[in-house]
Amino acid sequence: MRRFLQRHVSQVALSPSLALIAIFLYGFIAYTAAVSTTNSKAFPRFDSFVGLEQYWRLFHTPRWHVAFTNMFLFGGLFLLVTISLGLVIAILIDQRIRAESFFRSIVMYPMAMSFVVTGIIWQWLLNPTLGIEVMVHQLGFTSFRLDWLTNPDTVIWALVVAAFWQGCGLVMALFLAGLRGIDEDIWKAAAVDGIPAWRVYVYIVIPMLAPVFLTVVVLLSLSIVRAFDLVVALTNGGPGVSSDLPSVFMFDMAFRRTNLGLSAASAVVMLGTVLAILIPYLYVETRERA
Amino acid sequence: MIDIRISNCNKSYGSLRVLKDINLEIERGEFIVLLGPSGCGKSTLLHIVAGLDRLSSGEIEIGGRDVTDVEPKDRDIAMVFQSYALYPTMSVRSNMEFGLRMRGKPLSEIRPLVEEKARMLHIDHLLDRRPSQLSGGQRQRVAIGRALVRDPKVFLFDEPLSNLDAKLRASMRTEIKKLHLTLGTTAIYVTHDQLEAMTLATRMVVMKAGEIQQVGKPEEVYHRPVNLFVADFLGNPGMNFMKGHLRIDGGHVVADVGAATIPLDGYAFATPPADGQAVVVGLRPESVQPATGGEAFVLTLKPTLTEHTGSDNLVVLAMGGEEIVGKFPTETLPKLGEPVTVSFDLGRLSVFDAETERRI
Repeated sequence: MRRFLQRHVSQVALSPSLALIAIFLYGFIAYTAAVSTTNSKAFPRFDSFVGLEQYWRLFHTPRWHVAFTNMFLFGGLFLLVTISLGLVIAILIDQRIRAESFFRSIVMYPMAMSFVVTGIIWQWLLNPTLGIEVMVHQLGFTSFRLDWLTNPDTVIWALVVAAFWQGCGLVMALFLAGLRGIDEDIWKAAAVDGIPAWRVYVYIVIPMLAPVFLTVVVLLSLSIVRAFDLVVALTNGGPGVSSDLPSVFMFDMAFRRTNLGLSAASAVVMLGTVLAILIPYLYVETRERA
Repeated sequence: MIDIRISNCNKSYGSLRVLKDINLEIERGEFIVLLGPSGCGKSTLLHIVAGLDRLSSGEIEIGGRDVTDVEPKDRDIAMVFQSYALYPTMSVRSNMEFGLRMRGKPLSEIRPLVEEKARMLHIDHLLDRRPSQLSGGQRQRVAIGRALVRDPKVFLFDEPLSNLDAKLRASMRTEIKKLHLTLGTTAIYVTHDQLEAMTLATRMVVMKAGEIQQVGKPEEVYHRPVNLFVADFLGNPGMNFMKGHLRIDGGHVVADVGAATIPLDGYAFATPPADGQAVVVGLRPESVQPATGGEAFVLTLKPTLTEHTGSDNLVVLAMGGEEIVGKFPTETLPKLGEPVTVSFDLGRLSVFDAETERRI
């Protein structure tokens, strides 16, 4: 017994947490998957097996389509805006500017806030009767309109702007760390070679940041799939269901509309989406290390 | 013909003076090595010649043109860095081509040029690889190749061999030497490795704390150091120093160094010696040899330690309260504690004033 313990001390030490993970993570994933094959309403019931019918229903629910499309629309725009502006801000801060830490803090501050606070701040700012629109009107530009929150076609931009405001700091910090990690001599060599700074960025430095891009895309993608609190605080899915995201849909089905089976099905689809992002990333990461 | 002229060059970072009134003239085709301990300002001086650092005051001329306020790219220089500084996202070929392409040279002219220089450096089979797929020595060759294709007026080397292992360093050193003999381009080379400095330089510049200590041919700097710092910095093992006083005895000058009296009749004094002057007498280990008879000056000393280096035997000898080191031929290995008779090569003596630390 003693010898067994001596030989397997690390396994023994890790086993409680492994057991917890097995039950509460993978166990409940399996449980959710099981629920998704039943016709459960307010409570899980396993005597009502319906096979894949919940998935069939899910993909025939117009609201799910709005939510699922929104995820890609919001996600794509959010990735594009956050990565490009985050990189530009990082490059600007990297120019050995004065008061660098001041600007860095400003960009990083929103990160310290919860998404609920971010949502409420932007709800006020974008509210046509008390936010930016009123302010611009008072300046005399009375034809100015900022109705993102009330227009179903543009409400997604409100989400993108708020999410960018919150996420930009992290992206900037990651890119800045990447830029600072680049050998000073490369810049000197480029200066002697007579390569203009923007070309050094485009041809040399930004390609060197490829691993940072990968990390940023994965981090942001996961936050897109998880996005829930921001939507609830900013638009609550409205107007109508036009700014719904899958997580909001899932919550609504499970706890407001007592349709646990459908909710579980949407959760499984979301898990599939996350895995579709993570598996290629892990594949690339482990292959690079090997 | 003067190729590079550095006049009254000063550089300060805040209150820290990194370079103090540097003056240096470099002839076309010279291979100048800047040598000194870390923080002596040698790299800063090189960066100033390259234009990567601005000087606080003074002037730099390259090829008769004042380049003090000229961008690095317009100075007609090429530089090789310690960390190679290759562009990691490009192939070897692109690394070598990029600078010329940026200058608007047509690719049809660049291609043959790159291939010619690559053959010269034996990297022509690596042209399509990425820098990360190369060894340290190969990377440094690529970095040199990138400098060569530019065909600059001046090559600048910033400790290019410091990241290589000892064996590779020696072979790259020979190659740089050959390259310079073939091309004859003016070069400035920064290093803290005295072996590199001694072997590569046509003239070397020894620096300390932002000031030039001595400029001269390697053998001149080695054998006739102008002060104690230069004498001590060069040579491995270091020069033997014997403290003592001068005595002028009926027209003959001698140095009393405790255990011995060294005649200085043949010594060419730079400044007239004074009776009783406190001095440090320096003699390199290779000038302390086992006596074979007939030498002008011999001493009998007790060995306290011997070290075999393979090519020589280093013998530590007790001399009064001090110790001196002799570099004996490998077949001569004295027994510890048994006195040996050694000769001093008086023609190789260096005498320094103990107070000013300057050669007299």
